[in-house]
Amino acid sequence: MMLALLKTEIFKLFRESKTWYAIAAVLLIELIILVAAYYQGAEILDLLLDNLQQSFYFEGNLLNGNLLLYIILNSLWFNLPLILMIVSSSLITEEYKNGTLKTLMLQAVDKRQLILSKFIASLLFTVMMLLLLMATTFVLAYGIFGTGDLVVYLGTLNFFPSEEAFNRICLAFASGTISMIFFTTVSITLGIFLKESAKTWIASAFFLILSSLLLKANFGWGTVERYFFPKLTNSWQRFFEYEVAATSIIIDNMVLIIYIISVVLIGTYYFKKQDVG
Amino acid sequence: MLKATRLSKTYKSGKALDNASIHLNSGQISGLLGRNGAGKTTLFKILCGLITPETGTVSITSNKHKPIGAVIEEPGLYTYLNAYDNLKVFSQIQGAPTDIGTLENCLKEVGLPLNRKDPVRNFSMGMKQRLGIAIALLNNPDILILDEPFSGLDPTGVASLGTLIKQLADRDIAILLSSHLMTELHKVSDDLYIIDNGKIIDHGLTQDIIDSQVTLYTITGKNIENANVIQPYIVQKEKNKVTLRCESTAISDILKTLLDNGYNITACIPNITLEQLLNPVSK
Repeated sequence: MMLALLKTEIFKLFRESKTWYAIAAVLLIELIILVAAYYQGAEILDLLLDNLQQSFYFEGNLLNGNLLLYIILNSLWFNLPLILMIVSSSLITEEYKNGTLKTLMLQAVDKRQLILSKFIASLLFTVMMLLLLMATTFVLAYGIFGTGDLVVYLGTLNFFPSEEAFNRICLAFASGTISMIFFTTVSITLGIFLKESAKTWIASAFFLILSSLLLKANFGWGTVERYFFPKLTNSWQRFFEYEVAATSIIIDNMVLIIYIISVVLIGTYYFKKQDVG
Repeated sequence: MLKATRLSKTYKSGKALDNASIHLNSGQISGLLGRNGAGKTTLFKILCGLITPETGTVSITSNKHKPIGAVIEEPGLYTYLNAYDNLKVFSQIQGAPTDIGTLENCLKEVGLPLNRKDPVRNFSMGMKQRLGIAIALLNNPDILILDEPFSGLDPTGVASLGTLIKQLADRDIAILLSSHLMTELHKVSDDLYIIDNGKIIDHGLTQDIIDSQVTLYTITGKNIENANVIQPYIVQKEKNKVTLRCESTAISDILKTLLDNGYNITACIPNITLEQLLNPVSK
């Protein structure tokens, strides 16, 4: 039954025009970044790295596919999670709006399985979007700009040889996927509580902005702050520190997965408890 | 088949249902008549398990995977999908057959055309109602609950939906339908519940309830306005149509006399309003 529900959720998701608008928006943003980099990237890099380029030798052009991949990865900060949250929350809010949730609940369907199938469909869609983003960026970025060393500024300038840069980017995409799943899961749970699309979108955007603000804030709460969710959604960025703290990143992602499970449980509990209609 | 006892539900706005009891039998069409906001939809939602009552119980005797099929308020459909895909989605989630033959039969059963491939957002209200009923009937429930099924339908749509409802009852399905339109419930329902302010204030055979309160009848037939036998009862007359005021016990004698006198009667409709049933007078 669960598999049938999941198949139906995915079928409905891809028959909704807004899903295709979301995919188009993500790809368009990627294209705009690449076009902007093609025309202006070299000038900006020359300006930033003029002194260093006089003292060091960099393999290949610094405006290369790896740098572009890193720039596109930065869309994980806001625009990508926002688009994913809108699509994911629609899985539940559209059902409330159109009265289809009532029709679903009038069939021989388990309420808990229904909402879990929506969480899983959202997870699969998020993974698919990240894979699509990753694949298209790899093809376009390497195709247009070629490979080369990666320069990243994280407090200090870090340089990575081309092959190492590729591995770090792949790991960052994987870690970023967990962060995106966290945001989409939160958006579905917000949808369960708020029911209306517009309210859920505003709440989702607010949650994203709040997470970004709290990520930068330092309250001096020690371990509590260390594992506070906004600090964990940024783990993918830590793959571009000079020394990769692999164990610490794995722990962070494990804790984030616990957050995801908790959010799913809260959403499922509330959905099961509340009346429909 | 279904027995609901002493159901009560209160919202922030007030008491929606107050000790309401109802029972449904297989093959029987029961009507629920009440004003808008009387508690009809709340009662239906409780019977279908969408909301939980504060007090009371609902017991259903059925061995079906889905004992109740229902359309509550407007039929909730995926408007971006066509009728066939809507049926397929709702079948798939509950493990009902999804082969083309079965789904096309479902569409045919409710009188929907098989050649409409466009999204249901283009459908008329009547077609949406029919699709809603087709979805409610998936998995062959023993009970069918329809909330205001005649709302928004033109006279042809009302008539054909009435016929469909009677056909479904012939298959031994227990049917409960609500309306605030007396005429439509009178035509299809075997027994009638009257609900007001969340309370069931009357229940009985539809004809008995109407007979107990009706005093006006509209009779149509050629030159009927000239018949001598009806002159003492006429309150309004038009060409080929009269409205009479008389007791329900007298109407059959009047009709018999008219027929004996050679008048061709084409219709005799009791004129009764919802208000008369909600505020009955003792005869």
